[in-house]
Amino acid sequence: MARAEVVPPQPAPVQSLISSDTSRKTHDAALHSLALQIQHNLQYQHYWTSLRIHTHSPLTGGLFPRPLLSGLPPHRLYIHPDEQIELLKEADRARKARKEGETGALEVKAEPEREWILPARLSEKWTLRRLAEVFDGVSQVPPEEDGRVEEAGKWRQTKRVVLATVDTDSTVAYYIIQDGVVKPRQN
Amino acid sequence: MAPDMPPVQEPFPISYVAGRYLLFDPPTVAYARRTYNITGVLIGTIPNLSQQNIFLGIPLELTPEEARVLVEQDHAYIVDDAAIHREGFLEMSREDRLAYLQDMDEKGAEISRNVVRRANEKTERALQAKGLRAIKRSDESQASDTGSLLFDEDGFPSPVVAAPEKKAEPTYITPTTSCPPLHKPRPSPALGLPEVPKSFPMFRYLHSKGYFMMPGLRFGCHYSVYPGDLLRYHSHFLATGLDWDEEFDLLDIVGGGRLGTGVKKAYLIGGEVKGGADKEPEETLAPSAAPSWNPALRPDKPEKKPRVKVEPVRAFSIEWAGL
Repeated sequence: MARAEVVPPQPAPVQSLISSDTSRKTHDAALHSLALQIQHNLQYQHYWTSLRIHTHSPLTGGLFPRPLLSGLPPHRLYIHPDEQIELLKEADRARKARKEGETGALEVKAEPEREWILPARLSEKWTLRRLAEVFDGVSQVPPEEDGRVEEAGKWRQTKRVVLATVDTDSTVAYYIIQDGVVKPRQN
Repeated sequence: MAPDMPPVQEPFPISYVAGRYLLFDPPTVAYARRTYNITGVLIGTIPNLSQQNIFLGIPLELTPEEARVLVEQDHAYIVDDAAIHREGFLEMSREDRLAYLQDMDEKGAEISRNVVRRANEKTERALQAKGLRAIKRSDESQASDTGSLLFDEDGFPSPVVAAPEKKAEPTYITPTTSCPPLHKPRPSPALGLPEVPKSFPMFRYLHSKGYFMMPGLRFGCHYSVYPGDLLRYHSHFLATGLDWDEEFDLLDIVGGGRLGTGVKKAYLIGGEVKGGADKEPEETLAPSAAPSWNPALRPDKPEKKPRVKVEPVRAFSIEWAGL
């Protein structure tokens, strides 16, 4: 009986992405691969676009405590409760302006905004100091593709970062962390 | 303030009894709540029906954090209740004691007189309802003189019964307050500032922003944070106070954030900034962090300069991202 030739299985797409990464390693390799894993998850499971890895702060130019990501979600990720009230009023006005007989649904228009993403592993321990270091490095709005940092809008006066916590089974939980006491959304 | 509430003199005393900080004076309880966002918990119940605990009354128990905030800002002071009583009553002068005893006797006599008066009125009414009339020993002669009473309009004489005269028994008062007879207590400096847990900086920070705090046991945190009086508002935050370098699990962030979002709140972690912090946390606050509809949060509120150095506190709000 002929011995079947042993073909090694194809590496997983995340694995190939991590091993094909040729960018300069500014941090521990584990932190780089963590960022890539989150990037992969956002891109292919949540349809985020223009994802970038940031190793240096756009504000100070110094090294981040770990590589961070920025990207554009398909829908607006966070709407401040006060902005939501304003958007709803606007949508209500627009609906009233429309003619009778047309569809009467409220159309809330909120353009997606670029977000900062902080990759982390569930097994890690964090402290307030380290969280504050991350927040001190990030700008209110992540820089555009060309490195330009845009002016923060009226409703984005608080720095926010999406904490992406990944477990060993590669489940990722996303939580929005804001710098300061910000009242909750009333979904 | 309600018109019948006597004004509260600041600083007001907080009684320290068996490790608890208590307020016994209803106007002070109302004042602390209206003016300083201190709610506390009412713990007074009926001594022989202690399971009747749905509607509790005074005293109001303050958490050590609440007592500490009031004392730090010179709105209140701590009084060692046991020591004040021991001292006050053992060292009371003879004149004061006699004056107090006499006052008590007078009050007791007044109560007795009222009891007798009311009992007599009741007897009178009961007899009148039956068409009878009472004769009293004092006006017996007067009654016999008026012959016309024998033949009133009905043509029937109303029978006369002898009602027993009620004697005034002396009433002995059990005093329920010790102030009076004691004067307004002086602060007990030996006690110092109330001992507080390490989450206190978070409490003080949120309190300084005008929030109301309640114990957070129900949500597994240190404080449930309300944007106004908790009779009017739902809480906004589940706050946990941490040390600046205290390690926490990301699982706690996920758990707190998820629980908070599920009940339309945000999970809040924060602590005193230590070392190398050149940034005031206030700069990063959202404009909406101090809602203008809450009078307690308006900046024109008179601020008392705290006599303790307050380190800046930095807090982070956490909500589920919905991804």
